[in-house]
Amino acid sequence: MDVLLPALGNVLTPMALLTMFLGTLAGMTIGSLPGLSSTMGVALCIPITFGMPPDLALILLGAVYVSSVYGGSVTAILLRTPGTDASIATALDGYPLAEAGRGGEALGMATLASLFGGLFSVVVLIAIAPPLSTVALAFGPQEYTVLAIFGLVTIVGVVSDCPLKGVLSAAVGLVLACVGLDAFTGMQRFTFGYSELFDGVPLLPVLIGLFSVSQAFNLCVPIGGGVLTGREQQLKGRRLPLWLDIRRCLRTLLRSSVIGSVVGILPGAGTSIASFISYNEARRHSLTPERFGKGELEGVAASESANNAVTGGTLIPTLTLGIPGNAVTAVFVGGLTIHGMIPGPSLFTDHAETTYTLILSLLLANVLFAVLGLWLCRYLVVVTKVPGSVLGPMILVFSVIGTYALRNEIFDVWLAVVFGVVGFFMERWRYPAAPLVIALILGPILEVNFRRSMQISHWDLTTFFTRPLSLTLCLLVVLALAYPLWSQWRRRRSSVQH
Amino acid sequence: MKTHPISVRKAVLGAMATLLVNGLSTSTLAADYPSKPIQMIVAFGAGGSTDTMARIFAKYAEEELGERLVVVNRPGAGGELGWVHLANAAPDGYTIGLINSPVVEVYPFTREETVGYSLEDIRPLANVITDPGMLVVATNSPYQTLGDFVAAVKDDPKSIIVSHEGVGGDDHLAALNFAAEADIDLNFVAYNGNAEATASLLGGHITAFAGNMSEAVIQIQEGKARGLAIWSEERGEPIPDVPTGHEQGYDVLAAASRGFAVPADVPQEIYDTLLDVTRKVVENPEFRAEMGRLNMPVNPIYGQEYVDFIHDSHDRMKALWEQNPWTEQ
Repeated sequence: MDVLLPALGNVLTPMALLTMFLGTLAGMTIGSLPGLSSTMGVALCIPITFGMPPDLALILLGAVYVSSVYGGSVTAILLRTPGTDASIATALDGYPLAEAGRGGEALGMATLASLFGGLFSVVVLIAIAPPLSTVALAFGPQEYTVLAIFGLVTIVGVVSDCPLKGVLSAAVGLVLACVGLDAFTGMQRFTFGYSELFDGVPLLPVLIGLFSVSQAFNLCVPIGGGVLTGREQQLKGRRLPLWLDIRRCLRTLLRSSVIGSVVGILPGAGTSIASFISYNEARRHSLTPERFGKGELEGVAASESANNAVTGGTLIPTLTLGIPGNAVTAVFVGGLTIHGMIPGPSLFTDHAETTYTLILSLLLANVLFAVLGLWLCRYLVVVTKVPGSVLGPMILVFSVIGTYALRNEIFDVWLAVVFGVVGFFMERWRYPAAPLVIALILGPILEVNFRRSMQISHWDLTTFFTRPLSLTLCLLVVLALAYPLWSQWRRRRSSVQH
Repeated sequence: MKTHPISVRKAVLGAMATLLVNGLSTSTLAADYPSKPIQMIVAFGAGGSTDTMARIFAKYAEEELGERLVVVNRPGAGGELGWVHLANAAPDGYTIGLINSPVVEVYPFTREETVGYSLEDIRPLANVITDPGMLVVATNSPYQTLGDFVAAVKDDPKSIIVSHEGVGGDDHLAALNFAAEADIDLNFVAYNGNAEATASLLGGHITAFAGNMSEAVIQIQEGKARGLAIWSEERGEPIPDVPTGHEQGYDVLAAASRGFAVPADVPQEIYDTLLDVTRKVVENPEFRAEMGRLNMPVNPIYGQEYVDFIHDSHDRMKALWEQNPWTEQ
């Protein structure tokens, strides 16, 4: 650990701090705009880093990465327009809070939760990265299959109000997930000859359509109304959540950070799985699960701590094994190799100083976005007082630009508009949109891993129960499904007795 | 089957382009070329290996051209969307693009009914990178040579699982080539990317990984994986211990190549200017050093030679396809 001191020295130079500050600002902006993902943010920074010394280059990439994941929460809470799938679960409770004038409080909680999750995962990265990286290898197709099912189970948590409509919405998502070239045979499925659909229905245009575009329509329809409806024109908000609320959420913060860190290690999983599983677990352990989805601070805390914990988690296999944990860290690997650093154990020996500079800068970048975030809260929250007739068109413009920027395809913009209309009516008729998106994300993961499992096991379905890790995950799925029924039954019995 | 919208658009664009080229004499067009930024279409996402190469190339080429080279990512359908845009771009030299062989030449027949471009629409300019294919196992695997591997497949074909990154991709085609040469049937599992496949290989979930040298170098150098064979004429520079297929009696040559191309009707003077710039960048030792650090083997093939290379590869792939189509239409 004698490299920590020189590494700390590297992080605290004025140039490094300035780079980190600019990276954090850029990341927060990128994260809050629809369609601009962390991957794109980091990739766009790569050419800038060519001319920089490796230390500064990594500090910049790291700062953009962690702050862009946080940035998504701001618009998810205040406008219900999550920039990427990582913050959909945040919007579930964040937006109802903003509607009730408590947007500032929700933002404060999101910031603290992001800070907690981010710091937690970096500490895990420093302390136990090498042993934990074996988790990435232990997960075979069987485990990914059950993990995807676990993720789908969380839909139950999102749709408890009207299960049938939620299941229908999820079913539509699963059907959409079938579109595209079959990875195993190359056969075209439901592409209708559009090569734009060969890779499947692109996720972000659907997401932006269902959440951002439909929200823009919503805001435009009742002329004059903004996020804060009717009489509730007052911001009741405090900027920081009460200490009482924070203490209440501590267990959720810790649990979600663990889930986020572990899911981050898995190369095939993804941020949204982490935030949805954490959200569902928080609801399951809550004494008042019925408040989730209607403005429960704990829901925001669960989702935000999980998605930021993913950042440190994804770096674990990246730095120790050279296996990137997600698309963003894959770009990182490119950035590392270009500076002559080969990801793998040698990073912690030959290049230890630079590696620890990166890791320490991540700690600092987490603190930096939190400070900036808390300071900006009071200004940002004013957005909810802007009339819908102004806000709606603005969201629409950003949605169109963001969708087009994804891959420079006008097709994607039309897709977002179509799903915007679909989302608008889904909300009118009270069909939740989140299950559709969860299913669209998890459908392909479930399908390819199930088929891989079947090919590896030669169509032996017991393969999911004979592997210890896979069996454990199966039991967790059963637990997550059965627990609400059991607690309901127990509550009913106790109320009968009284 | 409906008329594909792209063919209409292509016809209109083509007509416009012809007017443009005929209206202005080609020499005035070429004389002050380039007079504005040139866009470079990358048919894959930002941050991928094709994109990384493109951005590094652009940095050097800008110095030679005296104009900005703007990288435009148009990913989708395994590169097809980007190549449709390249094929349909105005042939004025202000749009160039990267093409990835062999996939760029197989779509016109594997996706015959829907594909939005044909090889006649683009004119290859120069190849830059040739990343040889490999067959890789984990270090603790019992197989030391291709011979061991083939014997095991013949013994129990179902027990051997080989990953590739998508049907009809270069990894899959390389492995199919090898299977045909060794007269074996391989049990393939598709992976979405190198990271997942590598994790599955090192975790012991699959037997072997069909991929490119640049993707396997790190794990081989770290002693976690072993290359059974590299599908090139000579051994790979960063991993000199891995024997070629030919050395082991299997004549398989396969690689993923990345080079540049322009729309087919670009005036000859502009084509020559771009070729000249590409040559200068590729011969630049600094550019080569950067490619070397990324484990991307530079393999320059210029002008007509590259055109022939693409067309030869097309013919070979088509023969393989007609023998044994690898996708279900």
